[in-house]
Amino acid sequence: MLRTLNLDKKYTTDEVETTALNRVSFEIKQGEFVAIMGPSGCGKSTLLNIIGLLDNPSGGEFYFLDKEVSKFSERQRADLRKENIGFVFQSFNLIDELTVAENIELPLIYLKMPSAEIKKRVDEVMEQMQIAHRRNHFPQQLSGGQQQRVAIARAVISKPKLILADEPTGNLDSAHGQEVMNLLTELNEAGTTIVMVTHSPSDAEYAHRIIRLFDGEIVTENINARSFAKEML
Amino acid sequence: MLKNYIKIAWRNLVRNKVYSAINILGLAIGISACILIFLFVRDELTYEAHFDKADRIFRVTNDINLQGQTDKFALTPFPLAETLKKDFPVVEAVTRVMPIGKQTVWLEDKVFSEENFYFADSTFFRIFNYPFLYGDPATVLDAPKTVVITDELAKKYFGTPENAMGQTLKFSKNTHKITGVFRDPGHSHFKLNALLSVNTFDETLKKQFSGDWFRMSLYTYALLPEASKKSEFEASLDTFYAKTVVPWMKENKLNASMQYHVQPLPDIHLNNEFSYDLSPAGNKAYVYIFGLVALFILLIACINYMNLSTARSAKRAKEVGLRKVIGAHRSQLVRQFVGESVFITMLAILVALALVELLLPYFNALTEKNFSLANFGNGPFLLVMLLIVAFVGLVGGSYPAFFLSAFKPVDVLKSDNSPRGSNAWMRRILVVTQFTISLILIIGTIVVFSQMQFLKNNDLGFNKEQVVVIDIPNGDTILVNRLPVIRQKFLSNPNITKVSNAASIPGERTGRLLYLAEGANGGQMEEKTLSTIFVDYDFLDMMEIKLKAGRNFSREIKTDDSMAYIINETAAKWLGWKDPIGRSMENGLGAKGKVVGVVKDFHFASLHNKIEPLALMLAPKSQGFLMVRVAPQNLPATLSFIEENWRAFDNKHPMEYFFLDENFNKQYRAEEKMLTVFGYFAALTILIACLGLFGLASFTAEQRTKEIGIRKVLGSSVTEIMLLLSKDFAWLVLISILLAAPIAWYGMNRWLQDFAYRTEIHWWIFVLSGLAALIIAMLTVSFQAAKAARLNPIKALRAE
Ligand SMILES: Nc1ncnc2c1ncn2[C@@H]1O[C@H](COP(=O)(O)OP(=O)(O)O)[C@@H](O)[C@H]1O
Ligand SMILES: [Mg+2]
Repeated sequence: MLRTLNLDKKYTTDEVETTALNRVSFEIKQGEFVAIMGPSGCGKSTLLNIIGLLDNPSGGEFYFLDKEVSKFSERQRADLRKENIGFVFQSFNLIDELTVAENIELPLIYLKMPSAEIKKRVDEVMEQMQIAHRRNHFPQQLSGGQQQRVAIARAVISKPKLILADEPTGNLDSAHGQEVMNLLTELNEAGTTIVMVTHSPSDAEYAHRIIRLFDGEIVTENINARSFAKEML
Repeated sequence: MLKNYIKIAWRNLVRNKVYSAINILGLAIGISACILIFLFVRDELTYEAHFDKADRIFRVTNDINLQGQTDKFALTPFPLAETLKKDFPVVEAVTRVMPIGKQTVWLEDKVFSEENFYFADSTFFRIFNYPFLYGDPATVLDAPKTVVITDELAKKYFGTPENAMGQTLKFSKNTHKITGVFRDPGHSHFKLNALLSVNTFDETLKKQFSGDWFRMSLYTYALLPEASKKSEFEASLDTFYAKTVVPWMKENKLNASMQYHVQPLPDIHLNNEFSYDLSPAGNKAYVYIFGLVALFILLIACINYMNLSTARSAKRAKEVGLRKVIGAHRSQLVRQFVGESVFITMLAILVALALVELLLPYFNALTEKNFSLANFGNGPFLLVMLLIVAFVGLVGGSYPAFFLSAFKPVDVLKSDNSPRGSNAWMRRILVVTQFTISLILIIGTIVVFSQMQFLKNNDLGFNKEQVVVIDIPNGDTILVNRLPVIRQKFLSNPNITKVSNAASIPGERTGRLLYLAEGANGGQMEEKTLSTIFVDYDFLDMMEIKLKAGRNFSREIKTDDSMAYIINETAAKWLGWKDPIGRSMENGLGAKGKVVGVVKDFHFASLHNKIEPLALMLAPKSQGFLMVRVAPQNLPATLSFIEENWRAFDNKHPMEYFFLDENFNKQYRAEEKMLTVFGYFAALTILIACLGLFGLASFTAEQRTKEIGIRKVLGSSVTEIMLLLSKDFAWLVLISILLAAPIAWYGMNRWLQDFAYRTEIHWWIFVLSGLAALIIAMLTVSFQAAKAARLNPIKALRAE
């Protein structure tokens, strides 16, 4: 699915240079569920943004679907993103002026899908996320858990191969957090590759594999015991 | 996609009501001002357009050079038209139009005094297609002693246009039969009441006129087969002049030269450089100035839009980030935001159209026109709306669009912060632009106003107040001979102090006369032209014009009535006479005489022009005007006394009188109008700019809520916080003053060049305008600042 070789990312602000990623190399296969963990400021979000083609690395190689994309233009990245990647954020990032259904259909609009098809898919995915009864509500009228489900619905509506989640449960209580983790697991079981940044060890347990970052470098990469066991069964 | 854009644009509008109202109202005011100005400018630029052949009709004009002084005449000599018809193959048709001046019309037992009556050739209506209610335009003026009148005149005289046909109008010499009734749609340099057939002229009169190439008496219009033949026409006029007119001038010992020019009909209205032109011309400069003002107002409205949209960018940043994350291209976002501004512009246009409907009556009163949205015409209307949408949508929408669409999703979607206002600089520049433009207009208004005051209050060298002027009807010698009687009658009233009559008065046209005058150091007589006023013994006394040397005309000295001249200082200087008294002069009518007095210069024409050399000649029985100086007390009684006695004295003509000062100030009508329009639009720009400032101030206050809270907890007073919030804006207004001052100074100096006599642009004008702008801006801002400063700090801090 994707592979990196010696990825670097440096930020320069006010002549101070921060190294956010330092020679990061790893590979993620189709169908994997990977968690990225590490202390605050170690470069997790930076890494996720590069994987998600929201940002270019300063150095190194990045293969996405077997294409070297590290030097792609904003436009090329946008097109790849549109087709292949769904995002879920800690702060949901729903558009306040759009209703639940309108938020969810947005990616399909940019894919220029016919409106009958859009309607069908929106109905399906809202059913799946159990938010159909909220279709004409605005985000502020929903609870955090519901908002995150809308965000997930929006991420999956275009049937992306890869879903990236940056601390998806960070703003939720544990019951709602668990719900979100179950949804992600279901998606993964249906074949979607998932990469998730998290602080919570219990959330990380849902993943097959954990990449641990410290100061911009990978310190360990281990197979998650529980999911390994699960696969053994 | 479009549906999604419109939805989000609409919901943004509805959710931010104050912001939307400010935005749309600002744009709407700007657009409505623009539409009004457009109506005015288009009207000025499309004079004569309703004539089918407008582009092929040309007027012949005449530059006359006398002693090195060139005057442009709209008038041409009588025989020119005949020649054009006979000898110019390039000319398809010709018509002459001869002004008659004020005319008395008798209709059975009623008498009317009318203007805008002309003699015209029968070809007139073949060249100028006026709509006819009755009569055949091709032949109505063929027969002698025929007249065609407008439907309005027909209604006034006969009740209906129909009744007018076949009736007769009696003039002082002839009776004319009405052969047609037409409608004058206006919007032309012709303002017609009636046209009389030139064929009425008897042969002796025609002969007297047709040999004379130097008597400028009428307007000549030629129809060419196509507009492009203009230069050919002009060239053949030059050839003709050299071949025919030059020898004639030599033969008649006329020491002058002329050049004919050809003026396209549509150019006539906005050209005001010709002497003796028909109805007062428009002013090209003012048309351009108003056009520019319209553009300025629209720009200010656009800037409002830009400022307010970028100020609230933080609120849209998340949306931009998100759309990008899910794959939107930047160009798609640009399109979305430009589209949004187009959408808002269209809403603003709806409001603007309502505003225009509301304002049109006042605007019509101001411009003395009759505009309406209905007679806009669908094509031009849509075009203008489209242009406005394009201009506002693109100019107003593009900056926010590019600004917003440049947000990086990685930055704006972070849960912890929102983007900082890196656009603060741009916003400052925009506010400065707005206030600079507003200030230029304010300064302009004050300068125009002070020039108007200067014109009205400047010492004219005579006293124009408290003078009633009676227009003496032309051509009644019996009346003129009895003027001394009415003079005595008037003077018997204790509230009437002086009475005088003169052929012309300050503020009305003064004719020029050719003279032979003694050279600077005596010696040979030289040809000179001087403006000339025929006056009576009491003119200087009544007008309170001061003598500088010599004496006034005197009843005791018999020779004064044909052998005495009084000149003004400028004339003495111009003729090079150090001691003018006793110098010899002879006018073109053959009156040999001597200079008996020199008067101090007085303004017999408007202050647009330098005082010209002037000669006063005695003609106690001149037709023209009777001037009556009245005491300020009991004015109504004095006026009715004058009216009553004049009517008893002359009951044949309708009486017409006016006040000398009002008549004199009519010369500044164009400026007066400009002042009013300038004033209103300056007020509008300030209003729009302040709307924007109000919006900006409220966003700044909102953004700094937390800072204000902390400062208050730490002990800041409300005043200190208001000062903190207002300070930034005060700086911007100050910078605007510095920018606006030189631009306005330059522009207004250019404008003042039009006046030979003009006011200074005083420094206090800049201080005053700056202060006004500053106060208005500070009132606007401090309203928001006060609200923010009064907010309970606990609330402010919790809002985070
Ligand atoms: N846009 C940016 N400009 C400058 N420095 C940044 C930027 N984004 C992140 N950083 C720095 O890069 C490092 C990694 O940040 P991030 O990837 O957000 O960490 P994490 O998500 O693991 O908390 C931090 O030191 C952060 O300060
Ligand atoms: Mg992070």
